[in-house]
Amino acid sequence: MLLDIRSLSKTYPNGTQALKSLTFAVQEGEFVAVIGLSGSGKSTLLRCINRLIEPTSGTILFDAQDVTHISGEALRRYRRKIGMIFQHFNLIGRTSVLNNVLMGALGSVSTLDSIIGRFPPALQEMALRNLEIVGIAEKASVRADTLSGGQQQRVAIARALMQEPQLLLADEPVASLDPATSHSVMRYLGYINRQLGTTIICNLHFLSLVREYATRAIALRQGEIVFDGSPSEITEEWFRHIYGDDAVEVEIR
Amino acid sequence: MKQRVYQFLVDWLAGTYLVTILHRIVWLELIWGNDQSPRLGTDIGTTLVSGIPDWMTYLSIGVVLAIGATYSNVSLSLLLRGKLDRSMWQRAAALHVASLLLSLTFITGWIVTRISLVDMISGERLSAAGRIFSSLLQPEFSILPQALSAIIETVYLAFMATVLALPSSFVLSFLSARNLMRGNLWARTLYTLVRAVTNFTRSIEPLVWAVIFTVWVKVGPFPGMLALMVHTISSLAKQYSEQIEDIDPGPLEAIASTGARPLQILWFGVLPQVFIPFLSFTIYRWDINVRMATVIGLVGGGGIGTMLNQYQMLAQWHEVGLIILVIALVVWVMDYVSARIREALQ
Repeated sequence: MLLDIRSLSKTYPNGTQALKSLTFAVQEGEFVAVIGLSGSGKSTLLRCINRLIEPTSGTILFDAQDVTHISGEALRRYRRKIGMIFQHFNLIGRTSVLNNVLMGALGSVSTLDSIIGRFPPALQEMALRNLEIVGIAEKASVRADTLSGGQQQRVAIARALMQEPQLLLADEPVASLDPATSHSVMRYLGYINRQLGTTIICNLHFLSLVREYATRAIALRQGEIVFDGSPSEITEEWFRHIYGDDAVEVEIR
Repeated sequence: MKQRVYQFLVDWLAGTYLVTILHRIVWLELIWGNDQSPRLGTDIGTTLVSGIPDWMTYLSIGVVLAIGATYSNVSLSLLLRGKLDRSMWQRAAALHVASLLLSLTFITGWIVTRISLVDMISGERLSAAGRIFSSLLQPEFSILPQALSAIIETVYLAFMATVLALPSSFVLSFLSARNLMRGNLWARTLYTLVRAVTNFTRSIEPLVWAVIFTVWVKVGPFPGMLALMVHTISSLAKQYSEQIEDIDPGPLEAIASTGARPLQILWFGVLPQVFIPFLSFTIYRWDINVRMATVIGLVGGGGIGTMLNQYQMLAQWHEVGLIILVIALVVWVMDYVSARIREALQ
């Protein structure tokens, strides 16, 4: 078992209960899609896993190690094992694509070396290899903010791959992309999951994408798990249960 | 309850003010034209102190007015907070009280500043104006070399003040950026402390700093530079920190999620986002400092201001005219150049 989450809760200082006692486990090699309305707690869940947000209560076990309360160097070592990509890509726009990818390796380079830009040749080669994996190696020396949205997300994936992550968290990775680009980005995530064996937990809005790429779906509704199973089991009835009676499914082709 | 206390205090203050002005200005000054009592404008200090028993009276009448306001709801506090409805007669009454206060303040201001059109346009005064303007408009070019070397001193002085302030501003700005300093109690305490110190030093004008430093290190460009530097440190720190508070938190999150150390998060997540604005602020600050440096010279801070002060004391208006001309030209050029550089940086 790679990730074991027990009674995880998060209450924000303003009183919002984002997560209410979630319990689930993720096996190595799974591609888990987390679905649910905006505000159902998907983003909070992902950020609790790599501790960008502090959970209020509950336990997170990663590789059978309790990481709920680690801090400092131990927390940084833990984060290095987990890559993350974001809806808005979060690249550093003013620097080159290659530098952006190298930032994924900051944890394994000393602070001084990274600040004066001395990344070992092995890392530079690895960065180029990762850019090749996402099919964008020819853009290595281009400024990141000149790329299209889909290209920027692929750079972000290459950056996450620098960590050689055991787990990849993807927070709405295609929500600000057009349908065609969405599929391209999802295909790269699928490739990384199957070919590199990286476990993926991905927040998604479109059920059609969930059915096509995920091996498992977890649905959140107001901070609680209301569905956990195979994407093919999400019927019309389940859909109404997850998204409310007024919802209509939209497909992305 | 708290609201009611505030409402009472505001009305009390307004009532006391109204009574004071009515008695001191309208009754004693305007109606009686009291020449025995010291004029408010000539010696406001003694007027204030000598009237301690009067003040007690004013304050007590103020209390009465405030109680009246509380019961009748003809309250300035309610008016300011928008609690009085358009249809209520209290609103109209309160508006009248407000406009009365405003007009009385204007009249008081007129008396206190001793505004006098006669002093501006009487024949004698007009000829004085003619004298100075005609002198200023015929600048004495023989002192141009000295003026140029003085203004160069000013520009360098402003430059040094900006450059030497930079490292401190840079460090302080990170410590006084709210979004970076909410981690733990230590960080928040440091944040509050740095904010308090920079706010305090910034609230003191460079002119005052110059006075302090001319005593400390003797008259000349050095104290002028120090004065500008102190002010620049806190001004730039504030502008920088506001820029840091404005950054997109996304890249920070991304860098933090890779397991990077705090300094790396700052270097790779924050700096690229603020570098260009920082540069732009710094150039603008140099430009401001050149302008301020010309004034700082008046109190002995060196450069063209000191030269201006000397000729002004000797009433050599042709020379003053030339100095003003040189200052205006250099400030205009600096302004233009810095604007163009900042445009190019966008």
